[in-house]
Amino acid sequence: MKHIVYISRAVRPLSDEDLTHLLTQSRRDNVQHGITGILFYSHGNIAQLFEGEPGIAEALFERIARDGRHSHVQKLIDRPIASRSFAEWSMAFHPLEPAGFSALEGFFLPHHVPALPETLSIADSMLVELVRLAVFGADPASPPQAAPPVPAIG
Amino acid sequence: MPNIPFSQLLRQLPAGVATLEGPELRYGFVNEAMRALVGEDVDGQPITARPGNLPSALLDVLPQVFATGEPYVAKACLCTPQPAEKHDCRYFDLALEPYRDEQGQLVGLLLLAIDVSEQEATRQQAHELSLVTRHLDARLRVLTETAPLITYSLDAQGRCTYASPQWYRFTGQPPTADLTAIWPLLIHPDDRLRVLYEAETARRAGTGWNYEYRLRRFDGQYRWVLSRALPEVHPPDPPVYWHGALTEVHDQRELADALRRGEAEVRFLADSIPELIWTATAEGFTDYYNRYTTDYSGLTKDELGPTGWVSLLHPSEQAEAARRWVQSVASGEGYEGEYRMRRQDGAYRWHIIRARQLADGPVLRWFGACTDVHDQNLLRQVLQTQYDELARAHHDLDTFVYAASHDLRQPALNLRGLFDELRRTATFADPDQALLLNMVDGALTQFDATLHDLAVTVQTQRAQQDPVEVLDLGLILEEVLLGLRPQAQQREAVLDVDVAEAPGLVYGRANLRSVVHNLVSNALKFSHPDRPPHITLRSYFTGADEPVLEVRDNGLGMELADPNNPVFQLFVRQHSHIEGTGVGLYLVQRIVRSHGGHVKVTSTLGEGTTFTIYWTRPA
Repeated sequence: MKHIVYISRAVRPLSDEDLTHLLTQSRRDNVQHGITGILFYSHGNIAQLFEGEPGIAEALFERIARDGRHSHVQKLIDRPIASRSFAEWSMAFHPLEPAGFSALEGFFLPHHVPALPETLSIADSMLVELVRLAVFGADPASPPQAAPPVPAIG
Repeated sequence: MPNIPFSQLLRQLPAGVATLEGPELRYGFVNEAMRALVGEDVDGQPITARPGNLPSALLDVLPQVFATGEPYVAKACLCTPQPAEKHDCRYFDLALEPYRDEQGQLVGLLLLAIDVSEQEATRQQAHELSLVTRHLDARLRVLTETAPLITYSLDAQGRCTYASPQWYRFTGQPPTADLTAIWPLLIHPDDRLRVLYEAETARRAGTGWNYEYRLRRFDGQYRWVLSRALPEVHPPDPPVYWHGALTEVHDQRELADALRRGEAEVRFLADSIPELIWTATAEGFTDYYNRYTTDYSGLTKDELGPTGWVSLLHPSEQAEAARRWVQSVASGEGYEGEYRMRRQDGAYRWHIIRARQLADGPVLRWFGACTDVHDQNLLRQVLQTQYDELARAHHDLDTFVYAASHDLRQPALNLRGLFDELRRTATFADPDQALLLNMVDGALTQFDATLHDLAVTVQTQRAQQDPVEVLDLGLILEEVLLGLRPQAQQREAVLDVDVAEAPGLVYGRANLRSVVHNLVSNALKFSHPDRPPHITLRSYFTGADEPVLEVRDNGLGMELADPNNPVFQLFVRQHSHIEGTGVGLYLVQRIVRSHGGHVKVTSTLGEGTTFTIYWTRPA
């Protein structure tokens, strides 16, 4: 079992339709492959944490890295873990039309994202918090004023 | 003259042929082609009368040719009456050939006209083309020779066939220099072999090249240049020429090198400091740990990762440190905290972790450092413990003193009572014993006074925490003096109070009263037997706006070892013949000192003493 955390920047901002599509498709694929985790999206900033069997997780990351819808993909963490921290795969983003999304299961408005699971180490929890901050900005209840810059590591 | 079959041939010749007979140069034989040029109705007419399309320039030279007998040729003459369009123009090569009779006399001219229109058109086209070519060539030349670029051409054997003027300007070589021989010598020796090899390889492969090397400038300095060339291809033949350009890239290379060196220097510096130094992106992901950090933690940079430093902290402190870091990153405010960090041997040491966000060029970065304060902390803890113990011991001592003096008061009172009773009821025959009684009385009084003053000292100690307020000096001094009226009256003392200059004082009420009471009480006690005591109390400000109280008397005076630093020790007395306990001045000094002031004393034995209390200035 391992988990991978990455951040990236969408080449073109995703519309609400794109996000719905992404949500349903990813959930289908991930359930099939035993991938759980969470994806953050806001105004072009993407970040994801996912966990699963090492081979599957790595293959998934390869596919994600090659996806032309985003660029500046930077892997922050790639580490083995003892057990899963997330029960399922879900998404959190700022939809342009919040009303239409209320019915969708497994989607959270950024300020409703549940607290991080206890099983994540504090270092990893802090990482996810920082990632969430980078994607959504300081006040998750409202969209960020200007898209925050993508960090350059290394 | 021409025989008939021949004349038929002539008639049909594609070139124009005509004879011009006699001095008037009349048309004789005119073939078809010539008729097309001069017209049909010309026979027998002089040529000047029927020139047709012949150019006037030809007519002008006719007499001269006839006269001299020299043949004449005019190439590409325009023979069109009114050229409507360019392509209607007809050009002819015209030749005049004199012919003679059997006697050798000049009898006429032979006129030949050959149509060279097509050639002429081609020639004109070629001419125009060459003009265009020259124009393009001039443009290319200007561009290549004025651009800040060296251009060159090499043939397939590597011989340099052309170098633009910039090459000569850069290298300082004369225009007569042998490029092929000189150029390699101007390349830096360390780069020469590589350059020649790469160029040779490219030529063999028929491809271009792209490399950098150092070229010697006119002033002897070697400058980095980028050389790129491509072959001139005319498939299927192999390339014969390579054309290329040379740009100076020296400054960019130097800058890149300097940046690399600078970064290396910074890293070296950061690595040599015995502190945990790190930097993080604006989003809070740590991307650099200095060497001390990896040594201290025993983890590599990859193992530590973007947030791994948190896991170095003591487990009980991790959550709070993480929370504060997220807050700092969100707000941009500086980060500071004291936490225990695990060393690679497992020991936890206290560190102060500080981080600030600074602009690194256009980008914001976090710069952080963790300072080892473990030893100072331990020391501080030890000191704190000792201080606490000391404070406790002091407190215990005070309590003991107070308790002792308090507990002793009752027995003292009892003694006093018993003694008074004894004195009253007992009779002593021996008059010496009466003296003895007085002495016992005195001793008991002294004993009581000592106990009282001891208790007061301890109480004063406790009253150090007297709340500070704005006090009306005049009022308080009056109150205190009122309390001392019995003693004052007894000695017929004169007391003057002058607080006009500084009527107010910010001080503790009880402490002020204690100080004044003790000083005045002393002044009264140690008055000179020869004169009534005259005590003046004056309050004023120094030049530096500090409040001062002066208590002057005309009493016995005292001996002082160091007037600026008078030491009033508990129970040490100057005038032992006067009753007292020696506690008063000690108390005064203690109160004044503990509130940031000091006491100054000037005194002349037998004349008087002046106490100056600087309330706010330390010694």
